[in-house]
Amino acid sequence: MKKDIYAKMQILSDSAKYDVSCSSSGSENNYKTGELGATHNSGICHTFSADGRCISLLKVLLTNYCIYDCAYCINRASNDIPRAAFSPRELADITINFYKRNYIEGLFLSSGIIESENRTMEMMLRVLEILRFEYKFNGYIHVKLIPGSDGALIDKVVRLASRVSSNIELPSDASLKLLAPNKTKEKVLQPLKLARDLSLERTNKPIGMSTQLIVGATPESDFDILKLSSVLYDKALLKRVYYSAYIPVNDDKNLPALVNKPPLLREHRLYQADWLLRFYGFGYDELLSQERPHLDEALDPKTIWAMQNLHLFPVEINSASKEELIRIPGIGIRGAHKILSARRFQRLTFEDLSKLKISLKRARYFITCHREFQKEVPLYEETLRRALTAPKKGYMPNLFDVSGITGEL
Amino acid sequence: MYDGTFEGFLSLVHEVYYKKYTPHAITRVMPHANLVDTIVEIHYDALQSQKVFQGLKKGFDKKHVDLILHMFLCDREDFELDLLAYIQLGFKNKKELYNINHPSVFYLQNLQKELLRHYHKYSGFLRFEELEDGTLYAKIDSKFSLVYLLGGHFLKRLNNQNFIIHDPKRALAFVKYGEDAQVRSVSDFELPTLSGEEKRFKKLWQTFFKSVAIETRQNEKLQKQLVPLVYRTYMSEFEG
Repeated sequence: MKKDIYAKMQILSDSAKYDVSCSSSGSENNYKTGELGATHNSGICHTFSADGRCISLLKVLLTNYCIYDCAYCINRASNDIPRAAFSPRELADITINFYKRNYIEGLFLSSGIIESENRTMEMMLRVLEILRFEYKFNGYIHVKLIPGSDGALIDKVVRLASRVSSNIELPSDASLKLLAPNKTKEKVLQPLKLARDLSLERTNKPIGMSTQLIVGATPESDFDILKLSSVLYDKALLKRVYYSAYIPVNDDKNLPALVNKPPLLREHRLYQADWLLRFYGFGYDELLSQERPHLDEALDPKTIWAMQNLHLFPVEINSASKEELIRIPGIGIRGAHKILSARRFQRLTFEDLSKLKISLKRARYFITCHREFQKEVPLYEETLRRALTAPKKGYMPNLFDVSGITGEL
Repeated sequence: MYDGTFEGFLSLVHEVYYKKYTPHAITRVMPHANLVDTIVEIHYDALQSQKVFQGLKKGFDKKHVDLILHMFLCDREDFELDLLAYIQLGFKNKKELYNINHPSVFYLQNLQKELLRHYHKYSGFLRFEELEDGTLYAKIDSKFSLVYLLGGHFLKRLNNQNFIIHDPKRALAFVKYGEDAQVRSVSDFELPTLSGEEKRFKKLWQTFFKSVAIETRQNEKLQKQLVPLVYRTYMSEFEG
C-alpha cells in the first residue's frame, strides 16, 4: 500500500529523532545573489520540540528500512515497525518548501541501510545534488556518512555538504561487538578519516564533522568517554561529540534492563565537561582519572576541579589572566570578558561585579576582589561542598534550568 | 520633547549642547503641563542634525554609532536620557564608551543586546506563508521594531524570492520585490490569499514537529523557556 506523505513524514522523522545533533552553527556566512539559502555562523534554532530540544534542521531518514541489526536501534532489521522511504526528489521538494517558509535552517539527512551501503549513499547524494544544483540551495546540509560506502561517493558528498558525521554510538570496540554486530570502531571511523583527508586536500580548513555516543547502555565510565572525545578533538577529526542518554527502545538480552528515565543528569554533566575541554582549555585528565572515573552528579565539573585544586584559589579578580578567570567556578567566557574590559577603568569590588550582572553564586567562594575575601565559608572542600549544595529556601533546583542539551553555542 | 526619530534626537543633542540645557526627562509626546518643569519642544532641523551626525561619524568608533542607531529600534523603552549622556560622554572622550562601569554605557549596551537577541530569535521564529503569486508573507508582533534588521537577514537567504515582513502594530513592512527592497509604511492591508500548497506544507510541518519529540524526555517547561509564549503568536506548530 502506498503511504501518504504525512504518514511517511511521521515514520521517518520518528525514526530519526534519536540522533541528537541538530546544530546549524559553525559554517561561514555565505550567500549568492539570485540564489536561495545561506548558512549562519552562529546557527539558528527555528523552534523547540516538546522535549525542549532545538529544531534547526529537517531531521529525517531517507528510509528506515535497514539490513543491520543493532541492538540499541529502533530501526534494527528484526524490529516489526512501520517502514517507509522518501524519494530523493520528494525530500528535496519538502526541504525547499520548509526553508522558504523559514521553518528550518536546512536538512539533516540520515538513512537506514537499504540494499547496500553504496546504494544508500548514492540515494542520499542524489538529494544533495537536486538541492545544490537544481534549486541553487546554499543553506545548511548535514549528511550522515554511511560506514562502508565507497571513497568516491564520500568524496562527492563531502564536496556538497556543510557538515558530515558518523556515529560511533558505543565508546569501545567490545561494546560495539556486543550490541552492533555489523559495525566495528574502524568501520565507523573510516568515513570520518576519509572525509577529513579529502577536504584537507582542497582547503586548509576541513569540513565540520561530529559524532554521537550513547551514554548508559554499556559499562564505560565517564573517564573513558571523555578520553575518547578528547582524542577525537585533538586529532582535528571532529568539531563536536554529542552525548545521548540511553533511551531503551528495544528489549535485548545484551542491553540493560528497561528503566523509565534516561540518565539525563549524567548526560548534562558530560556536556559540561565537554565544553570545558573545547572552550576552557581543560584536559580530560584534569577532570577525571582512573581512580575517580565518574563525574559528580551533585556539582558541575568545574567546581569539582576547583575543589581538588584549592591551592590555586582564591583568584584575585583584578590581576588574574583570562585563562585563570575562566577556570573560576561560575564564571564563563562572557563573564571573564566583562571583567577584563571593566577592570581597565577601575579596580573592581564585589559590588561592581554584581552591578555588571556577573553571577557570584558559586564564584564568590573562589575569588578575592582587591584582596577582599568573603568571610562566611573557609576554603576547604567540606565547607565549600556544604555551602554549594545547600538547598535555597523556596527554590527547587532543576536540572533543566541550564540547557546543555540543545547544544546551542 | 522631541519627535521620536533619530534625526530629531540629533537636533536635540545640538540644542542641549549650545543652549546648555540639563533635561530631567525626554519624551516623545507632549507631557501634561505643570508648574515646576519647563517644557522645551525640539523641532527637527536638518542642518543641526547633519552637523551632529558628522560629528558622531568622525568622533565615534563604528560600533558605538551602530549602538546609537539601534536604540531607535527599541521604541518601547525609555532610553533617551541615557543616550544623551552616552553621546555627551563620547564627545568628551570616546574611549570612555568602552567603560562598562558607567551606568548609561552599561544600560544601553544591555538594551542593545536585548534588541539583538530578539532579532536573532525572530530570525528563527518568523514564519512565512506562500501567497497565490508565490510571494512569501510573514507577520510579526514584537517588542522591538525588527522589520529593518530582519529584512536584511532574509534578503541574503531568500534572494531569488519575493517576500514581505509585515509589522501590523507599527504599520511597517519590509517589502522585497524583484530587485527592489525597502521598508515602507503600510496604512491598511488586505488579508492576502494563500496559495493552494500552503495548507499541505503547514500540515506536514506540524506532523514533523510532533513526531520529532522524544516522549521519554518530555519537558514542556524547558520548551516554554526557549520559545516563550510571546513569540508563538504566528508560529503554526503551536496552533490549536
